[in-house]
Amino acid sequence: MAAEHIIKSYDEELGRLNKTIVEMGGLAESQLAAAIDAVSKRDSELAAQVVEGDAKVDELERETDNLAVRILALRQPMARDLREIFAALKISSDLERICDYAANVAKRSIALAQTPPIQPVYALPRMGTLALQLVKDVIDAYVERDAEKAMAVWRGDEELDEMYSSLFREFLTYMMEDPRNIGPCTHLLFMAKNIERIGDHATNIAENLYYLVHGTPLTEIRPKGDKSSLEVVAPDRAAAR
Amino acid sequence: MSLSLATSNPPPPEMAMQPGANASVTPFPVKCQIKNVSFYYGKFHALKNVSLSLHDRRVTAFIGPSGCGKSTLLRILNRIYELYPNQTATGEVLVDGQNILAPGLDLNLVRAKIGMVFQKPTPFPMSIHDNIAFGIRLYERLPKSELDDRIEHALRRAALWDEVKDKLRQSGLGLSGGQQQRLCIARAIAVQPEILLLDEPASALDPISTQRIEELIAELKSDYCIAIVTHNMQQAARSSDYTAFMYLGELVEFDETEKIFTTPREKRTEDYITGRFG
Repeated sequence: MAAEHIIKSYDEELGRLNKTIVEMGGLAESQLAAAIDAVSKRDSELAAQVVEGDAKVDELERETDNLAVRILALRQPMARDLREIFAALKISSDLERICDYAANVAKRSIALAQTPPIQPVYALPRMGTLALQLVKDVIDAYVERDAEKAMAVWRGDEELDEMYSSLFREFLTYMMEDPRNIGPCTHLLFMAKNIERIGDHATNIAENLYYLVHGTPLTEIRPKGDKSSLEVVAPDRAAAR
Repeated sequence: MSLSLATSNPPPPEMAMQPGANASVTPFPVKCQIKNVSFYYGKFHALKNVSLSLHDRRVTAFIGPSGCGKSTLLRILNRIYELYPNQTATGEVLVDGQNILAPGLDLNLVRAKIGMVFQKPTPFPMSIHDNIAFGIRLYERLPKSELDDRIEHALRRAALWDEVKDKLRQSGLGLSGGQQQRLCIARAIAVQPEILLLDEPASALDPISTQRIEELIAELKSDYCIAIVTHNMQQAARSSDYTAFMYLGELVEFDETEKIFTTPREKRTEDYITGRFG
């Protein structure tokens, strides 16, 4: 952070805002990690804890909003201080979304645990671990105000997209092989999509951090690896593969 | 777009005369070009080689801590400083191409062209009507009806007419602070100047009067080139198109107001506007 303000309470307020975001980031990490664990270990109790834990994140988001509005109203921040507030508001809503997706993965894992285990379940945690790394890295980048590190996350999301695309195809194949797979695979598909979206929110955070540090928005086009929306699947074609 | 830092090396000094090249504000012609101006109070070097341009029909704000030279610069622009001994200015101030610092100019004509309003309202101890007529009479002999029209016009421009039209013969000193300041602005514009210099015009006023003055500035800029010195950063941000940040007699940064208050180029500017100075 830059040099101290003449008015010390201003620094304290900005510090509190920063701390709340970091706390939200920590929660996003632990919620996502626990959700992935719940999937791979078929641990419905843990999953239920994740679902419950989401309320805490919502509370922190409201706290961020209140703090930010208060600073805007009372301090009239300028330049970098203003970007701190602006970025905090946007980043907190991205973190809140990340936690929502984590909670949704956990919720679906409870349903999934009631069906017999199927093979592609094991691919999902791999995807989750990569998403978790992106979230961790972007929070670290935020703590250090390191735009370069944020950019690495921003680029790294492409790999997550590619994993999602290939999982998408894999799930479809399983569903076509045996209609009994349709139930669990649909859940898995949504879970994979949730994790893919978590990666997108991590890149949003990276972009906001870039703006916070440099004062100019990142206008480069992000590399994207999710081709699943272009996928056309017909049973006869799949059978011919 | 490359991912390199948005801030580049400090520009060469000649660039400092013009705001950022990627100006989004429509360019208005330069009304007043300040070139390499230095100023001395006796031996004290109060302004150091300041160069910048004021644009016509635009508002340029000067900000900076006390003693940075911003008021001094304003005092040079209509040669008010010459009322005091041992004060010298060097360099050039070109108004429409004419150097107003050159010797031999009729100072009264310079000051008629370049009006000034000060921090404390300075109405003369005479009626509202005469306060304004006084300035006009210095430069012109007008028939009474024309004089009255001019006074009404000035008071209307200064957004004061409705409040004083029924008491033009009462003393200007009886008005509130905000009204007195608008009277001074009316007095300044009654002589039909081209440039208006406002030295902290609202710093002694309450918030409502301050907003009236700011609204007035926005209104007046359609006709004048306006320079305003202010300690109120929000006021500079709200009411100006360009902002110059000065420190210790130097012009540190000059750019579009939006740029100065969102992404200033210089660290000293950022420290000052975010309240991190000293």
